[in-house]
Amino acid sequence: MSATERASTSPTLEGAPKWLLRAEPGLCPCGCIGRRRKGSFVQKTLEAGANVLRQAVFSEEMTQRRGFLQRLDPRVKFISMLGLLMVAALVRNTPTLLALYGATLVLAAASRIPLGFFVRRVWLFIPIFTGIVVLPATFSFVTPGNIVLPLWHWHGHPVGLTSQGLQAAGLIVSRVAVSISLVVLLTITTPWTKLLAGMRALFVPRMFILVIGMAYRYVFLLLNSVTDMYTARKARAVGASSGDVKEGQRFVAASAGALFGKAHALSEEVHQAMQSRGYRGDPRALSRFTIGGLDVAWMLGCMLVAVAVLGGDRLLGH
Amino acid sequence: MTVSLDTEITVPELTPWAPGKSGGEDLLVCRDVSYAYVERFVALDRVSLTVRRGESVALLGANGSGKSTLLKVLDGLIFPDSGTYAAFGQWVTEENLEDEQFCTGFRSRVGFVFQNSDAQVFSPTVREEIAFGPLQMGLPNATVEKRIADIVRVLGIENLVDRAPYQLSGGEKKKVAIASVLVMNPEVLLFDEPTAALDPRTQQWLMDLIVELNRAGKTIVLATHDLDVLEVVATRCMVFSEQHRIVLEGTPAEVLGNRDLLLEVNLIHTHSHRHGEISHGHAHELKHHDTAAEGGRP
Repeated sequence: MSATERASTSPTLEGAPKWLLRAEPGLCPCGCIGRRRKGSFVQKTLEAGANVLRQAVFSEEMTQRRGFLQRLDPRVKFISMLGLLMVAALVRNTPTLLALYGATLVLAAASRIPLGFFVRRVWLFIPIFTGIVVLPATFSFVTPGNIVLPLWHWHGHPVGLTSQGLQAAGLIVSRVAVSISLVVLLTITTPWTKLLAGMRALFVPRMFILVIGMAYRYVFLLLNSVTDMYTARKARAVGASSGDVKEGQRFVAASAGALFGKAHALSEEVHQAMQSRGYRGDPRALSRFTIGGLDVAWMLGCMLVAVAVLGGDRLLGH
Repeated sequence: MTVSLDTEITVPELTPWAPGKSGGEDLLVCRDVSYAYVERFVALDRVSLTVRRGESVALLGANGSGKSTLLKVLDGLIFPDSGTYAAFGQWVTEENLEDEQFCTGFRSRVGFVFQNSDAQVFSPTVREEIAFGPLQMGLPNATVEKRIADIVRVLGIENLVDRAPYQLSGGEKKKVAIASVLVMNPEVLLFDEPTAALDPRTQQWLMDLIVELNRAGKTIVLATHDLDVLEVVATRCMVFSEQHRIVLEGTPAEVLGNRDLLLEVNLIHTHSHRHGEISHGHAHELKHHDTAAEGGRP
C-alpha cells in the first residue's frame, strides 16, 4: 500500500474482533448491595493532592488581606522577624516568653488572621516534635529536684516529674511556640514570591532564590501530573484489585518513575526556554520594594520591644 | 560543532556583529541541516531553509516530522549534527553563542514561543516572567517596568501581572508566554504550534496577533499542521515529509493546491460527513464546498 493510499484510508471496524463490536455484559448488575470499600491509597493521594492546592490557595488569600503585617515591606518583615527570633532564643524566663507569645497573637489579630487557625497551625506540631524531645527532661532521673508528681518507686526512692524538669520543659516549649508563631506570621502574611524577592534583596544568593522559586512553581504542575495519573488509575480500577497492596506498590513505583521522567523532560525544556531569553547562568531579577514610614516605625517598635523584653527578662532573673 | 567556511553554500556576508543592522534580506539561513536525537532518532534530514526579513513562513508537517526541532535549531537551542546555520550574517554555533555580545544580540533578535507554555512560564509570578528576558538583556529596572506595563496593556492581560502561573488557564499562560517574548521586541518570532490546545476564541486572537505582528514588520516562522489558517497567517510555506525532509516550498495557495502531496505527508485525510440527507467522503481541504471539482461528491 502506497503512502497516499494509506493516508487516504479512513479507519474501519470491519476487521475488528467480535468482542469489541458487541456490548460487554456487566461484571455485576448496576445497583448497590450495601457493602462499602474503604478509601484506597489512590483516593487518599487524590485527597492529599487536592488538600495541598486548597492550602496554597488559602495561604495566598491570607497574604492578600489588608492587615498590619501584610502592609510591611517583605525585607523589613524578614529582618525584624529574624531579630525577634534571636530575642526569643536569648530569653531565659517562661513568663517573658508567654508575654511574647501573647504579642504574636495580637499581631495575628491585627493582620486579620483567624486566631483559631493561627493557634492550631502553631500548636499542631509542638506536642509531636518538642513534646517528645522534652518529655524525658521532666523526670527526676534526668532532672533531679522537687518531685511534684510521684509516679513509682525505684529501690525505695520515689521517681516522678520534678518542678525543675517541668520548668525547663515549659521554657523550651514556650520558646518553640514563640519561634514557630513568628515564622508562621512571616510566611502567612507574605506572598511566597515577595518573600523570595525580599530574601534576594538581603544578599541571599540569587541562584538559590531562582531554584526555590522554580521549585515552588513546578510543584503544582507535578502535583497535577500525579493527580492525573491517580485519577486515571481510579477510573480504570474495577473490583478487588484496587485494594491489592502489591499491585498498589507496583503502581506507585511506576508512577514515581513516570513522574521522574516527566520532570526531567520538563527541566530540559525549561532550561531551553530560559536560554532562549538570554539566560547565561547569571539570573537577574526585578527589585521593586520601597521602605515607607510604617516600615521604619515597625523596625523602631521591634527594637524597643527587644530591649524591653531582654531588660525585663534580666530583671526577672534566672 | 565546527563550521567549515569553504563549504559550497552561500551564507550572508560574514560581517562583524553590528547591532541594529542586518547582514542582508536573508535573516536566517539553514543549509543541509541534519539532526538526530541521541544520535539515533533522526529529526531533520538535510533541511535547507531561508527566512527573509518581513516574511511569515509556515512550517507544515505531521506530528514528529521535525518542525519543532527546526525551530529549536533556528533559536540556537540545539545545533545541527551536519549542515550550517547562519542568522543575521553570523554563523550560529555553540561556540559563537558562548560569546557574550553575540549571545545577547542573537537572543534579543530572535524570540521563541514554545508549544508547552508550562515550560516557558517558569517564574513565580507573571510580572517576573515577563521581566526575565529584558533583565537578562541588561535593561535597567525602570525600562523593564515600563515595557511590562506596555506589553500587558497591548495583550490585555493587566489583570494577570501579580498572579502565579498555576492560577492561569491554558489560554492565559499562552498570552503570558507571548508577552514574555514580545517584551524583548525581537525581529524574528518563532511560534511552535501556537494554537495547539487553545479554545477557538483564543486561537483566533492569536492568529490575529501574528498577522498584526507581521504587518508591523516582524518576521514570523511558525510550525503548524493547521491548514485552515495558512492563507491568513503565512506568506510562504515549507512542507515536511514524515521522513523529516522539506518536500515542498511555495505560497499557501500552491501548497493547498497540491492535494496528493498533502495526503502523502499526512497533513490531510479523507473523511465522511453529511450535507443534509447526503453523506459523502473526500479529502479534507479548505473551502471544498465552494469548488466545482469535488471528486468525492457522490
